Amino acid sequence: MKWELNTERPVYIQLIEQIQTEIISGNYKPGDKLPSVRDLAADATVNPNTMQRALVELERTGLLLTNRTSGRFITSDDKMIKKLKEESAKNQILEFIDKMHQLGFEPEETLTLFIEIVKNKD
Amino acid sequence: MLNKLLKHEFKATARLLIPLYLILLAFTIMDRIVLNLNIFKGVLSIIPGLITFGYVISIIAVIMVTFILMIMRFYKNLMTDEGYLMFTLPVKSHQLINSKLLVSIMWTVASVLAVIASIFVVAAAPEDIREITQGLKYFWEELNKEFGGKVLLLIIEFIIIVILVLINSMLMIYVSIAVGQLFNGHKLIGAFAAYIGITTVLQIVMSIFIFIASPIFEETLTTFSSIPNLVFPITIFILIGLNVAFYWVTDYIFKKKLNLE
Amino acid sequence: MSAILECKSLTKKFSNFTALSNVNLTLERGRIIGLLGPNGSGKTTLIKLINGLLVPNSGSLLINGKLPGTETKKIVSYLPEKTYLPEWMRVSETIEFFEDFYADFDRKKAYEMMERLHLDSKKRLKTLSKGTKEKVQLILVMSRKADLYCLDEPIGGVDPAARDYILNTIISNYNENATVLISTHLISDIEKVLDDVVFLKEGFVTMQSSVDDIRSKDGKSVDTLFREVFRC
Repeated sequence: MKWELNTERPVYIQLIEQIQTEIISGNYKPGDKLPSVRDLAADATVNPNTMQRALVELERTGLLLTNRTSGRFITSDDKMIKKLKEESAKNQILEFIDKMHQLGFEPEETLTLFIEIVKNKD
Repeated sequence: MLNKLLKHEFKATARLLIPLYLILLAFTIMDRIVLNLNIFKGVLSIIPGLITFGYVISIIAVIMVTFILMIMRFYKNLMTDEGYLMFTLPVKSHQLINSKLLVSIMWTVASVLAVIASIFVVAAAPEDIREITQGLKYFWEELNKEFGGKVLLLIIEFIIIVILVLINSMLMIYVSIAVGQLFNGHKLIGAFAAYIGITTVLQIVMSIFIFIASPIFEETLTTFSSIPNLVFPITIFILIGLNVAFYWVTDYIFKKKLNLE
Repeated sequence: MSAILECKSLTKKFSNFTALSNVNLTLERGRIIGLLGPNGSGKTTLIKLINGLLVPNSGSLLINGKLPGTETKKIVSYLPEKTYLPEWMRVSETIEFFEDFYADFDRKKAYEMMERLHLDSKKRLKTLSKGTKEKVQLILVMSRKADLYCLDEPIGGVDPAARDYILNTIISNYNENATVLISTHLISDIEKVLDDVVFLKEGFVTMQSSVDDIRSKDGKSVDTLFREVFRC
């Protein structure tokens, strides 16, 4: 997995975000087993405690499940994943509207422009 | 732990000295053969000369290289970058000193024995051995007469003194190196200066001692037997004192004043 | 379990200057800690004190509750900045050496790491490049199951691929009982691996903080903060 981490923001938050993205996009399938904390940390080149903190947080939200003997798994709860997907999309869109607003576009203008570009894309 | 240090010390020094011993062996055999063959006539008579020359060089080399190597080994392994390895091992500093001291003495004794053995091989004929044994017997009888039966004591004390002198020469070098490393950036010069300083001080103290003590000696050292009874024991006492002092200072510097750069 | 390292009012002076002044520092187990500071700030002095290569002038330094000595050397694994292995030794002989003197040395692990880096264990050190020698040293140091690892500038002067390998080794080697102290001035490469940082300036500890605190409170990376604090 390709991790994009910058050091200006807390790393564990970025780890949470990127693991969530992997789950939403389907790269990590529901029920998949996660590698060990150390392997994940080595893969991301981050401190194992930091990775652990991210994973614990994801456990708390229910996205990850821990089995004491066999490790961590992605939840099989499709509804939860769908909800997360929708929320992520919503956040992206709100962010986008915000950015366009900074460029001087009102939401209505943004929508028109958006539809036009999507039509012409294919 | 000391055993492991000794093993490692031996490995590190043997790899340089064993080849030298092999060269000595080669020259010993060659010279023995060459000196007993009378086939080199005319121009060829230069060959035994050259081989003997090579042989003498190899004898000198064994003695000198052993001595120089022991000094350099101590310096290189403890005072240069390798010191970072040695001084962070879970061993006490006196174990480090002991391992080097013991191996140095071993090699020094070995080199002397090797040279003596080699000379025998090259030069001795059966008659020589008889002559030497007879000479030793005569020597022993004469000594017995002079020293009133205390020859054994004399010889034992003498051997002890030789060993102590050997230890002393190494320890004096070790303590000089230890003192020298106190001086940042001038470790080698410092070592030389320390060595010269110590020898000078010893010379001065010796001279004063002899000056003060000679009238006393004239009185007491009247017979030969005073040598094993008085002179040698005093020498042994002094040597032990010096050795302990040198050892203790070296150990103290390693424990508290180590200055690896 | 107690803190692995405790320094109280630690002071070390040399003939013409003071390298460490009244340093109070506690390092907990299971953390990867960066000892950060410019050259001459006292980092190497502190590490030498931990390893018993120097003796403090005043104050105390305790490792696992003990003064630096033979017992602490058994649990501290030290990687100095320089190549400190005898050049004449073969790689296999250095492994044997470490095995002889360190009870916590894992020979199998060392050989595995050597293999993964395609290092020929029969080669003599003097035939290896500087970077390769440094890798050998790192492998030896990390193959010990120590309580405290002191790495002095482990990634300086190494190519980026080797750098990644070294950081990877440090991460994979992690266990909750051991502490890794990394002294470096190359912060941006290493800060994602750190739990905490200690800033050392001219012999004083100016800051000790977790990396997360710096990022969330100050909103900047450790590297950025470092540049601010140590601006020339």
